[in-house]
Amino acid sequence: MNTVLELENISKIYGRGHTAVKAVDNVSLQVKPGEIVLIMGPSGSGKTTLLSMAGLLMHPTDGHLWMNGQEVTQFNERQLPALRLHNIGFVFQAYNLLAALTALENVEVVMNMAGIKGKAARTRAIELLAMLGLEHRLDHLPADLSGGEKQRVALARALANNPPLILADEPTGNLDSKIGHEVMELLCSGVGREQGRAIVIVTHDHRLHDIADRIMWLEDGKLSEKEKYWNGD
Amino acid sequence: MFKLAWANLIHERVRLAISVGGVALAILLILILNGFFAGFQQQAVSYIRNQPASLWLAQAGIENMHMVSSVLPADALMRVTRMPGVKKAVAILYATIAVQVGDALVPSYVFGIDPNDSFGGPWLLSEGSAAVSLNDIVIDQTLARRYGIQLGDTVSILGYKLTVKGLSKGTFGIASNMVFVNKTALALGMGVSPQAASYIMIQPEPTAKLDTLATDLRAVVPEANVMSQSFFLAREQELTQQMSADTLRAMNTVGYIVGLLVIGLTIYTATVERVREYGILKAIGTDNRHLIGIVLVQAFIAAAMGYWLGVALSYGIVALVDRIFPDVVILIETSSWLGEIPTLVVIVVLAALLPISRVTRTDPMIVFQT
Repeated sequence: MNTVLELENISKIYGRGHTAVKAVDNVSLQVKPGEIVLIMGPSGSGKTTLLSMAGLLMHPTDGHLWMNGQEVTQFNERQLPALRLHNIGFVFQAYNLLAALTALENVEVVMNMAGIKGKAARTRAIELLAMLGLEHRLDHLPADLSGGEKQRVALARALANNPPLILADEPTGNLDSKIGHEVMELLCSGVGREQGRAIVIVTHDHRLHDIADRIMWLEDGKLSEKEKYWNGD
Repeated sequence: MFKLAWANLIHERVRLAISVGGVALAILLILILNGFFAGFQQQAVSYIRNQPASLWLAQAGIENMHMVSSVLPADALMRVTRMPGVKKAVAILYATIAVQVGDALVPSYVFGIDPNDSFGGPWLLSEGSAAVSLNDIVIDQTLARRYGIQLGDTVSILGYKLTVKGLSKGTFGIASNMVFVNKTALALGMGVSPQAASYIMIQPEPTAKLDTLATDLRAVVPEANVMSQSFFLAREQELTQQMSADTLRAMNTVGYIVGLLVIGLTIYTATVERVREYGILKAIGTDNRHLIGIVLVQAFIAAAMGYWLGVALSYGIVALVDRIFPDVVILIETSSWLGEIPTLVVIVVLAALLPISRVTRTDPMIVFQT
């Protein structure tokens, strides 16, 4: 079966010589369409570095990356933005919405960048926000939204260009448990499995075990697979 | 791109106001200064412009009125008048002399005119007459108002008391006050022949060819420089421009530096404060070209708003000055504010360079910071 994302013997080393630190050490991972993969691990274990490389925001020191079957390891800074724009949706712990734009505009702007403009972009943005229960908050600025609402706008933005892969960095980190659970339900059930989208979530949140297909553990830069019902000990 | 740039600008209204206000201030400064000098130049050449003469004679080698002394032979007017093709020739004496008005000495351009001539004197009168006899003078109405002078009052030139016979209009400006006296009286005061002339103005016959007449005049009065009115006017304008060019250039530079700093600082501050958002845009797939576009569009929107505000304020100030200080002419023409656009474009691009550099260097990994 084709993979959406494949990391092969990926490593990332910061610094040089005796000060060199290996943040990610020879990690391999394959993520298939519709699959939800949870990456857990202690602070400083290399989770964010791994997610950055998977999200094509950082080049690995060694190893190879494939996106939808195409090797992208050697793609340069001119090629990568378009690849990210069309293939990856990001959801961040800090929401990272644009403060000057309304909820609707935050979703629209990503489509505009991809060449979808005018009514087509607006209609899809409204549909996405309505699907996530925000039809009454379209014209609100991020400052006027609650944490859960912001994260749902971020989710709508991540889905705007219909990417095959969603990368989420601590998506429930700033949300209370009830809202966090609702957001994850929307992310994984609504737009993940049902739409055949792959989702990789980096988190500390053990409550997310239930929604994942696979749970990976990253420690000292090394990745290993855990049992589905592993309790984190 | 435009939507985001605009949203960023109006999201921070105070900063936008500072940015727009700064640009407006710079444009205002530049336009008012340019307008002030343009007004000064217009007034400085108003005498030549308003005389109905096609050809002018000055002393050979002289091409101006300001800052020179022109003396033509006493019989020059007679020689000119006899020439075929000359319909009317008028001689004037001209000198820069202080006019004593009350206790004040007012540096003035004094024109000695023949009261029988149809031109050569003031072209607009608000009161009285320009038919000046030996003891008469015509002064500008603004000068008269400033010093409380009325028709029949006296002023002095070279120690001679002269009665104000008429009040002229459009003959008073900063450093360009004009008064008109009897030519014979001025000649006596200056110690020259009453027939002497500084300049001779010529109206040709309608059938006369100007170039041919000028050539003939050069032959008949070889001591004179024969010029067309347009040439004389252009040389005079050139001289007044030279007189003010350095000041103007310096003040314009100050205005542009103010504009550059204001736009640069406000756009840079706005960029630095939003650097995380630029990082977000980078992370989700925006390329540097698009980000540069956003910064430039913001800078250009702010500059354009400031530019139009500056132009509008300039016209407002011109109207205000005209009402309060009618003798101060600030001349702002469409071409003068349109002419500032290319420089403003360069300024905006320069001002945006630093913010652009900051944006393009932004690491998209910033999105992982909480």
